[in-house]
Amino acid sequence: MQRTRTYECMCLLDNREVRKGWDALKNAVSGQFTKHGAKILSSRRWDERRLAYPIKGQHRGTYLLVYFSADTNAVALIRRDMQFNEALLRIMLLEVEEVPQGAYEPEAAFDVNTIPSDDAPPAAAPEPVPEPMPAEESNEARTEA
Amino acid sequence: MSSSNSNGGGYRDGGGGGGGRDSGGGPRRSKFGRFGAPRREVLPEEPLDYKNSPYLAKFVSANGRIQSRKRTGFSGQNQRKLATAIKHARLIGLMPFVGRA
Repeated sequence: MQRTRTYECMCLLDNREVRKGWDALKNAVSGQFTKHGAKILSSRRWDERRLAYPIKGQHRGTYLLVYFSADTNAVALIRRDMQFNEALLRIMLLEVEEVPQGAYEPEAAFDVNTIPSDDAPPAAAPEPVPEPMPAEESNEARTEA
Repeated sequence: MSSSNSNGGGYRDGGGGGGGRDSGGGPRRSKFGRFGAPRREVLPEEPLDYKNSPYLAKFVSANGRIQSRKRTGFSGQNQRKLATAIKHARLIGLMPFVGRA
């Protein structure tokens, strides 16, 4: 049984591909949704930022947030199809109840030349401190006694 | 260990016989136990969404571990939302699995 539902897809795009042209890449990604019969409700750049950890050797990435409605059977095909796109570093595809109002606002102007070319890893972070295991109250009392 | 306790067991903290930690070797009063103040449910100030990673980072330790309900004060439902949001944020590269970004 097929049912149409609304989905949210956060795509993490490779900045090397983004620098070649934002509109072309955005249309190419959107085409992967429409190819399987999905209807795109909103597609806009979310952010360009440093990643919390390197993904496929990249330390920065551009996020594209897409809201679309599709048949439940098409989602698996879309997800599988996107895994072959090398411009996509990661995708997060979730079901949502409704599209937030902010998603319909026009996308801010985006100049791909403003993307920092700093793909180097960030400065070395301090060593994580080992967290003490939660000591049992009774043990603590026993040792103090 | 300890001398005989006239209060009978030493369950009452500070009630007699010196009180504190050496009051007869009985069970100590837990900081979060049932005899403490009633637990107040804390509501999230912002939506628990994986895109809201700066807010989610408040509920992650320096090593990247999700804080427990005891620390966040969230209801079970909101704690599950928090954990799911943090895990989604980790997968998409917004939050680290280990350490602080």
